[in-house]
Amino acid sequence: MQLVINALLRFRNSILYLILLGISLLFLSNKSDFHQYKLEKYSLYLSGGIYNFFSDISDYFDLKKVNLRLSKENSTLKFLELKSQALPLYRDKIIEAGRFPFQLKSVKIIKNSFQNQRNYLILDQGSKNGIRPEMAVISSQGILGIVKSVSKHYSSIISILHLDLKINVRLKNKSAFGSLVWKGNDPKKFSLEDIILSSDIKVGDTLITGGMSSYFPLGIPVGQISKVETSSENGYFKISVELFKDPSQVNYAYVLENIDIEELKKLKLGISR
Amino acid sequence: MNSYILKTVVFFFSLLVLQVFVFNHINFLGGINPMLYLLFLINYRFDQDQTFFILLGFLLGFSIDLLSQTGGAHTIAALSISFLRPLIIRYSFGVIAETPKSFQSSPKTLNRLIFLFFTISIHHLIYFIFVYFSLDALYLILKNTFLSSIFSLILVLLTNSLYRTKQ
Repeated sequence: MQLVINALLRFRNSILYLILLGISLLFLSNKSDFHQYKLEKYSLYLSGGIYNFFSDISDYFDLKKVNLRLSKENSTLKFLELKSQALPLYRDKIIEAGRFPFQLKSVKIIKNSFQNQRNYLILDQGSKNGIRPEMAVISSQGILGIVKSVSKHYSSIISILHLDLKINVRLKNKSAFGSLVWKGNDPKKFSLEDIILSSDIKVGDTLITGGMSSYFPLGIPVGQISKVETSSENGYFKISVELFKDPSQVNYAYVLENIDIEELKKLKLGISR
Repeated sequence: MNSYILKTVVFFFSLLVLQVFVFNHINFLGGINPMLYLLFLINYRFDQDQTFFILLGFLLGFSIDLLSQTGGAHTIAALSISFLRPLIIRYSFGVIAETPKSFQSSPKTLNRLIFLFFTISIHHLIYFIFVYFSLDALYLILKNTFLSSIFSLILVLLTNSLYRTKQ
């Protein structure tokens, strides 16, 4: 207390000056509209900066909540996007109007391996959250893999960076189907195989998922053709594909659930019997 | 001492009246008005308590603002000068002469001139900054500060010499 009083006495001139300066500024702003306007502008600038600072801090602590909300919002939007990508590609008469038999769930990738020849991902949600084997996993710009096995809280995914996995794809502008296979080293470099030969495949053509498997809906953009080579020995094309998004650099993903999967399985059983 | 207080009060009010009713209406060269009331802030004794002096400076500027219907520019300028005066004194007279007995008895004319120059120009600068209150008017602020300072300086010097020869 003594210290405070001493300090007050020592700086009494400065304190008095500041108080009187404040009074005269008030006086100034009351007397003249111009000065009032100017002072308000400066004070707004100052207080705006301070409020901004504090709101930045509180925003930072809210980030987790915001992320959660955004990922939910994103999954609804992603659903709409997938639907709008798929529906125009079906012929109206085949499919019931507006029906899109997929549901989305946003998940977080907690482990993503890409150095091996057969890679796996691990997600932070499991059977408790409704994830079952054979569901598809996509990222914001492309596909990631297929759920292989599920525990209560986690699930493991066969990555598309897996030499044994073939993904059914087609060209966006014409219905030429093929399979997408990883080449095994660069996570963005794939090759297109089993394609029905038509010579007008060009570099830059976009590939989308083909919708032939029950995992992925039709129309998710996957990548684009980066190189077309004719092999001299057998006349086949060697087609290289580059993905839109590096699957090893993804942290958030969506799990796609096909509502009709039981129905489709029954049908397949019927055929094979 | 009592006569000094009386003198100060009379000085205060006469300068106030002179400034408001005479010198604020000179409008030399289209609007340059000398600020004679600075004489009070200049001639006030150096060895007095500064806290009271700050209050006096505030009061002087405030009264001039009130009477001449201006904003708060005189108040702020006079207040700031009364607050900064010890600093100006230290820089213009050197550390040795920090508290001379009275301003009039100071022998060194050059130091006195520097002190006058600093007091007047800083006062005018603050005054015009608060009158225009905008960075866009920087040229106007500097120009007015320069011209008015010269005018005020001449007037202050004249008045001071008159005042001294009378005594």
